[in-house]
Amino acid sequence: MDKSLFRYIWRFSKREQLAIFAVVIASLPFYFWSLELPKRIVNEAIQGGAFTEGNGEVRFFIISFDLPRLMGGGTVELFEGFSVDQLGLLFGLSTLFLTLVLINGAFKYVINVAKGALGERMLRRLRFDLFATTLRFTPSTLRTVKSSETATIIKDEVEPIGGFIGDAFVQPLFLGTQAATAMAFILIQNIWLGLLAAAVVGVQFVIIPRMRRVQLRLGKERQIASRKLAGRIAEIVDGMEAVHVHDATAWEKAEIGDRLHHLFDLRFRIYKWKFMVKFINNLLAQITPFLFYAIGGYLALKGQLDIGQLVAVIGAYRDLPPPLKELIDWDQQRLDVQIKYDQIIQQFLPDKLVPLDVFAAREKEDGPLAGPIAAERLRVADPHGSPLVEEFSFELPFPVRIALIGNGGPGPSTLARVLARRHDEYAGRVTIGGRDLGRIPEGQLGRHLAYAGPEPALFPGSLRENLIYGLRNRPVRRLPDEGPQARRRRMEAERTGNPVDRLEDEWIDYERLGVEDADGLDGVLLGALGRIGMREDVYRFGLLGRVSSQRMPDLAEKVVEARHRLRSTLAEQGLENLVEPFDPGRYNAQASIGENLLFGVAVGPAFTGRGRAVNPVVRKALDRGALMDDLVAIGARITETMTEIFRDLPPGHPLFEQFSFIDADELPEFEDILRRVAAKGLKALNGEDRSRLLALALDYIEPRHRLGLLDDRLRQAIVAARVIFRKELDGSIWARQLDLYDPELVCDAAPLRENLLFGRIAHGIADAQSRVMRVVSAVVDELGLREEVEKVGLGFQVGPGGRLLAPHQRAGVNLVRCLVKKPDIFVLDGGLAAYGEEQARHIREGLLAAFENRCFVAVLRDEGQAEGFDALIAFDGARAELRRRPATAPEGEDADAAAANVAGGHG
Amino acid sequence: MTLDSEVQSLRQVPMFRDIDPARLKLLAFTGERVHFSAGQPFFRQGDAADAAYVILDGQADVTLDTPSGPLKVAELARNDIVGEMGILSDTPRSATVTAAVPIVALRIDKRVFLELLNQFPQMSIAVMWELAKRLERTNARLAQSNS
Repeated sequence: MDKSLFRYIWRFSKREQLAIFAVVIASLPFYFWSLELPKRIVNEAIQGGAFTEGNGEVRFFIISFDLPRLMGGGTVELFEGFSVDQLGLLFGLSTLFLTLVLINGAFKYVINVAKGALGERMLRRLRFDLFATTLRFTPSTLRTVKSSETATIIKDEVEPIGGFIGDAFVQPLFLGTQAATAMAFILIQNIWLGLLAAAVVGVQFVIIPRMRRVQLRLGKERQIASRKLAGRIAEIVDGMEAVHVHDATAWEKAEIGDRLHHLFDLRFRIYKWKFMVKFINNLLAQITPFLFYAIGGYLALKGQLDIGQLVAVIGAYRDLPPPLKELIDWDQQRLDVQIKYDQIIQQFLPDKLVPLDVFAAREKEDGPLAGPIAAERLRVADPHGSPLVEEFSFELPFPVRIALIGNGGPGPSTLARVLARRHDEYAGRVTIGGRDLGRIPEGQLGRHLAYAGPEPALFPGSLRENLIYGLRNRPVRRLPDEGPQARRRRMEAERTGNPVDRLEDEWIDYERLGVEDADGLDGVLLGALGRIGMREDVYRFGLLGRVSSQRMPDLAEKVVEARHRLRSTLAEQGLENLVEPFDPGRYNAQASIGENLLFGVAVGPAFTGRGRAVNPVVRKALDRGALMDDLVAIGARITETMTEIFRDLPPGHPLFEQFSFIDADELPEFEDILRRVAAKGLKALNGEDRSRLLALALDYIEPRHRLGLLDDRLRQAIVAARVIFRKELDGSIWARQLDLYDPELVCDAAPLRENLLFGRIAHGIADAQSRVMRVVSAVVDELGLREEVEKVGLGFQVGPGGRLLAPHQRAGVNLVRCLVKKPDIFVLDGGLAAYGEEQARHIREGLLAAFENRCFVAVLRDEGQAEGFDALIAFDGARAELRRRPATAPEGEDADAAAANVAGGHG
Repeated sequence: MTLDSEVQSLRQVPMFRDIDPARLKLLAFTGERVHFSAGQPFFRQGDAADAAYVILDGQADVTLDTPSGPLKVAELARNDIVGEMGILSDTPRSATVTAAVPIVALRIDKRVFLELLNQFPQMSIAVMWELAKRLERTNARLAQSNS
């Protein structure tokens, strides 16, 4: 990116800028004409100047042009004009004036739109360039860069720059020429008035920018201060745990308060300057008309200026300040934006970036990284200069499995990070297959080397998307651009230096992975997950996932079959009492009253929580089923119990959240309702109170809450109301917000588990949950559904940063992500830290076997874990020693001497 | 059987005898009523202690694993509490408890129980009082067997 904003803009928008210039120049004659016209209106039409020689009529709107001398001179008349009287001339000229106003407006519109488009395109380019530069940050830069600050820069801080880009060249040209035209017009009419106007303009031009410069300096300070504030707040939020653990809230509050004061002070000073500038501007703007009226009037009385000219001059002068003001604004903006741009560029200096050619060569060089790994006089130090790895050289053949061990020191991990190019500040040389590690193109490294660090970076999205993250290096097949929208998208991308790749393109090279399609890839993913012991987890995710009967009709059919099979299997094993199935004609005791009434799963908010109690269809069904009073009474009984037993718990107590029907802060309101019930009875409650009680009743599950509120009559009435509800719902606007239960269909809104059970596990039977799930698992296996369920599980949403996964699951995703891209070199640095000892050993052994013919580098805790590795590099503090060499290396004294040479430099 | 009948049962447990009815109701409400079929274990010796149980109906056997097989050491009946020592001392189960006949019990979750003790000193004192009485009895028995 260029150091100067203007150069940057000019480089990428020359053509558009020149096109706009042309339009600006074309608009000037019309502008001049529109200034000239009032003079003619006043002089010729109003004062009758055109009719002085007794003519009753004049010709108006003559279209003619003078022929150049070369062609013999003379005038060619294209249109001889209309013959009009004074009134006609007045209206004719006025209409012409109106037309010119419209033409000028149209020019302005065209110029503004072109400017806007130009600005937006440049903003897009700028943002994309910044983002692309962010991707080039070196690992050491990344340690110091704050993610929130970078995001703010790309999102917010370039915004004003983008707004300015459209104006950068066009605005001064447009406004300058306009002002110059007006100025020239005034000068032509009267030299004194012109000089007067020029003097005022001059004052404005000298004083105001100077004052504004101060304002700008303050603005710059403000920008830095507020960016720091944002960064600091993000830091505190990220480190909230430490803040609470050490009771540092007061300290942090004081710190932020201090920063806010500093910000306030800056902002206030900016305001003071701003309004001072405004005051002076206004003053000058008001004084000039006074001078014009006085002096211009004097000149008119003296006969040195006719009335038409005076009117036109005043009109022209009225046109002068706005462009000038905007020009001054532009100048201020220019300084402001240049400062902002400089600051932004500071954040993206080349010395913080990976050289461009490492990125550029991605298409050409894409060979495997199968070659000997060597380090020559490698030295690594931490930022304070203390050594992490003391001078160390080694050379190992390919394939090799290298164990790195150290007594808990940073050495092994540092070396691992160097080999994976996650640490680039080292002295000496590291080569893979004879090529300098630092010069291997990013693309080649990313495809053939994998690194699993201790902190896996997961992105929000499905488990599957996270697993195949390393496979989407570039589109292997582009979809054709279809339709004008797609073509426009491509054109805009090309114009702004953005990528034309689309997310919908085919990004995964299935052929290279040896599978046919996405389904085959799912199989590969599941296999890999199985090898690290995560398959059961994925199966459980699958049970929580949803099956769409539209998109997966085959699976949906099998699920319904499994549902029936589950029922019969449970019956065979005498376990049918563990699950109470959903039966359209019966009350399900294990489900809440609301669930029994709706008999379906809510899709939208209309049938969840309080929404259920106020929904007109629900109310209608309850009214017609004569249930309303009963349910409100149940709600009142629940309220009684809740207020009795939860009264003494402080609000926010965990038991409240877990058990109470009523939120802590709503408890007093419910107590009021109870008092009203006690005083006047249930019937006297207003609609709002009744809804609240009804909402409680709808959540009630008899065997779980055990308040003894339901009897057979009520149960039957609820089942009857269910029928009424279905009828009312059908065709109503809420029909799509509820997915109804049907024994023969999959309920799309319910998780797969619920769809298999199609009922509720009975409350209060010991161990019911796990016993039922064992049977479910058996039925799933029997019908060969397990893999299908697991594939549904691959769609599990992992949440921001993978927060919905357990630490060992995140580590597992990271490992599989590394393994499925089949790297030539795999560096494992703390990637197993989240696992227990036994499982880590199991995974390690699997990896050793898988990488028999490739390169595997693992950071291990001690020598005991290094069994099976071909090579062993042991660290004592920062001193490294190659303790074990691959068995293929020649043996004997000579070999030892050779090895000592290779490993030399540490003795 | 409803919450109220469970509260009646809890009242019969010496540890809970003097506690406010509203508290007992909270204890019962936050608890879970569980059915065990005959022969089904509540928990086994060595398991992590995650809950205490109050037997609402039925009988259970307490057995110890010995080298010569399980040894029955006690029988539990209606209104007995079992497993409370485990959740208070945070130690694994010291014995196996098995339903002798179909049983209905109230399961009191460890976390919830500790929350309640935390919140209501009256309950903590009642528990301490009960534990102190047991200690005294044990001491007395030790003294007897030594003399």
